[in-house]
Amino acid sequence: MLILTRRAGERVVIGDDILVTVMEVSGQTVRLGIAAPERLPIYREEIWLAVQAENRAAAEASVEALPAQRPS
Amino acid sequence: MPATETITIESSRFGTLRVAPEAVIEFPLGLIGLEGSRYTLLDRNPGSGILWLHSLERGELALPVLDPRPFFPAFELVLSAEDRERIGAPDPAAAQLYVTMRAAPEPADVVVNLRAPLIVHEGRGHQVLNVAPGADLQAPLFPARSRAVDAA
Repeated sequence: MLILTRRAGERVVIGDDILVTVMEVSGQTVRLGIAAPERLPIYREEIWLAVQAENRAAAEASVEALPAQRPS
Repeated sequence: MPATETITIESSRFGTLRVAPEAVIEFPLGLIGLEGSRYTLLDRNPGSGILWLHSLERGELALPVLDPRPFFPAFELVLSAEDRERIGAPDPAAAQLYVTMRAAPEPADVVVNLRAPLIVHEGRGHQVLNVAPGADLQAPLFPARSRAVDAA
């Protein structure tokens, strides 16, 4: 893992088209601004992990496990 | 590249599947945390309201999905400006909308993911983040009434 030290207002460039700006540092919190191509979704890690877990759990379903009738 | 010929895949759940080109759904960015970008929808339980979103690249990969709107009348889809830009903001009324379902032996434990629905429009699909209040990651599919009956 590459580790960089940056101050508020400084940036990191990833590839040709992703720009990460340190907007503000306050105590334990860092505000980042991320400029990236629109086709690239950007997630907070905890959201990404949670959705990944739901997708994977859904993919474990067997045919028999599904309700045969429409839930009411 | 759009499919032009019938795709045949061996499904671990359903045996041999032959999928017409017009039934192929391309997810340019795939589903979060899952491999592959080509899927199709199978209605193997007509009347249940539950479909299978089946991978056309991995025979063992399929997810039960359903349109949340009939089951959750208060369901609301709110996208971030970034997601709207990314998917081209199809009219929600015109697009197909699905959520993934986590199956479980006990009906009370069956949940759906209202937080990250799938929008399908004209052969393309996107998994998006729903920022509407109350869009739960694990929303019980069966209403509390059913659970009360089960517990009686």
